[in-house]
Amino acid sequence: MEDTSIKALLVEDNMEYAGLLRGFLADTPFPRFDLTHVEHLEKALQLLKERVFNIILLDLNLPDSRGLTTLDQIKAQAPGMPVVVLTGLDDRMLSLEAVRKGAQDYLVKGQIDARMLPRVMRYAIERKHIEEVLVEERYLLHSLLDYVPDNIYFKDLDSRFIRINKQMAELFGLNDPAKAVGKTDFDFFTKDHAKPAYEDEQRVIKSGRPLVNIEEKETWPDGRETWVSTTKVPLRDNHARIIGTFGVSRDITSRKQAEQQLKKTNEELARSEKALRETMQNLKTSHEELKHAQMQILQAEKMESVGRLAAGVAHEVKNPLAIIQMGIEYLSRSPLSGNENMPIVLKDMWNAIQRADSIVRGLVDFSASRELDLKVEDMNDVIDQSLLLVRHELLKSRVAMIKTLGINLPHVRLDKNRVQQVLVNTIMNATHAMPNGGMLTIRTYTRKLAEIDQDVGDRTGNRLRAGDYVLVTEIDDTGTGIPDDKISKIFDPFYTTKATGKGTGLGLTVSKKIIELHGGTIDIRNRRVGGVSVTIMFKTSGRQPV
Amino acid sequence: MNKKRILIVDDEVSFTRLVKLNLEQAGDYEVRTESNGALAVSAAMAFKPDLILLDNIMPDLDGGDVIARLKSNASLKDIPVVFLTATVRKQEVDARGGVIGGFPFVAKPVTVSALVVCIEENLKNRQVRSEK
Repeated sequence: MEDTSIKALLVEDNMEYAGLLRGFLADTPFPRFDLTHVEHLEKALQLLKERVFNIILLDLNLPDSRGLTTLDQIKAQAPGMPVVVLTGLDDRMLSLEAVRKGAQDYLVKGQIDARMLPRVMRYAIERKHIEEVLVEERYLLHSLLDYVPDNIYFKDLDSRFIRINKQMAELFGLNDPAKAVGKTDFDFFTKDHAKPAYEDEQRVIKSGRPLVNIEEKETWPDGRETWVSTTKVPLRDNHARIIGTFGVSRDITSRKQAEQQLKKTNEELARSEKALRETMQNLKTSHEELKHAQMQILQAEKMESVGRLAAGVAHEVKNPLAIIQMGIEYLSRSPLSGNENMPIVLKDMWNAIQRADSIVRGLVDFSASRELDLKVEDMNDVIDQSLLLVRHELLKSRVAMIKTLGINLPHVRLDKNRVQQVLVNTIMNATHAMPNGGMLTIRTYTRKLAEIDQDVGDRTGNRLRAGDYVLVTEIDDTGTGIPDDKISKIFDPFYTTKATGKGTGLGLTVSKKIIELHGGTIDIRNRRVGGVSVTIMFKTSGRQPV
Repeated sequence: MNKKRILIVDDEVSFTRLVKLNLEQAGDYEVRTESNGALAVSAAMAFKPDLILLDNIMPDLDGGDVIARLKSNASLKDIPVVFLTATVRKQEVDARGGVIGGFPFVAKPVTVSALVVCIEENLKNRQVRSEK
């Protein structure tokens, strides 16, 4: 069981008095006092070295020491020990002096009784204990105030400094924190910072709610700008009444600068990225344009060489063709032809010449399709005249026709013969695609090109643009359509799906060339309901006839 | 009625030979051939043709040169000339009524019947002119 008795050391040279005190304490039931009595200071000091006491009852006037010196020596030996000084009636000043020097209390000899003594001693022990705790608390608080690298301050209701820590004093350029007392932020900062800070504090005082980790920009009279993260809390007295504010602020200038730098860097990065994206997009566009241009050049070169070739071929091939044809005609009328197969052979040869001739003619057409004889024409007339040329073919192939020609269409500048050639070619293609008969629909109308039509254009750079008024001619058939894998090749020279001898593979190539020379477009696509739709568009100057 | 005399001038010897054979078989023609443009004028002087079929493109002296010489010769300038050409398309010949640059043209290859029609037409024109 733990010993709960209070170990007391009585230092008293008066034996009689010592006996009296011992008697008082012996009568105390709880706590029990375990009293050790010595008469000399020297003996007391000796005992304090050897044993642990809870309290000392000290007579200042001993045989070997007198007055406050006695207390000093005891304190030096046992600094944490509660001491109650015993003095005479006439030593009041001395008693007070002793308390000032660290004694917990004093007792005037002759006024002590059995009830009072234990109480004084217990209180002394408690006071000493509280004092030590306070010292510890104070020490911790001062350590906090003085060594934390944050600024700590206390302000009254008018935001006047009550207390600031060393760190903050340093910031204010003060060698002593006490010099800030009574001053305000207005004495150290510019109004730009001091005013909002003051308002914040008044808000805290009024609301009783703290502001936590708000970021403030501080502007100093020398123009410097610093940033702090600050927390402001209401300061309350014992009765919880708000008597001011206190706060901690931490310098975050470098963080803030880093953040701003980062923000700037990010913005620059974003700008660079945007520029990069734009550059890439431009490059991509340029690349596509280049690719497009290159294709156009290749195509144009192909066309040029085909054209030159055509002119040469025409002469070089047509002469031998003429000779063979003349030869066949002669032989067919010759009485020498006793052989029964002779007419068939001659007929085959004749057909072969016609084929070769039509191909050469197509080539020459193509090479000659460079120049146009433009006149203002009515598209509907051009269509009607073209239909006259193919009427027989349509009848023969049992192709019916629906004609929906717009009225009051604007006239356009056309080479009538060339456009007729295109129309005849288109209608003949349609007819060939309907070997068992079908329906041919021809429509003309004007319309304004929408956005989606942009970029239709030819390789000469004439482009139809959104907003242009165009004269549209549509020729639809109900034929076999074009296989999807073939549709991209239909304008290629010598490309044909027709049986050998049925087509030259130049019809659409020439048609496209002719339409493009007019600055128009020709578009061929399969209809969803079957068959093919050919759309030819020429730019007009407006909606009304010109 | 005398046979109509046709001079054909073309560097394609095979062509001239076959035209001669065909025309002489098909109608009442006497055809002489000449393959050298430079010799065309002397051939015409000697043969005195009713009509000349003249190839447009020839190596030494082409159709244009030959016709210039014919026109500068008083005894030859009224002889009708029909050009034979492999460079002009049939459609163009048709579109211009068979006349280009003031002269009738025939595009190769040409059928015998078409050639005969053309020859007869131009002979008739000449007769009409000379009767005036």
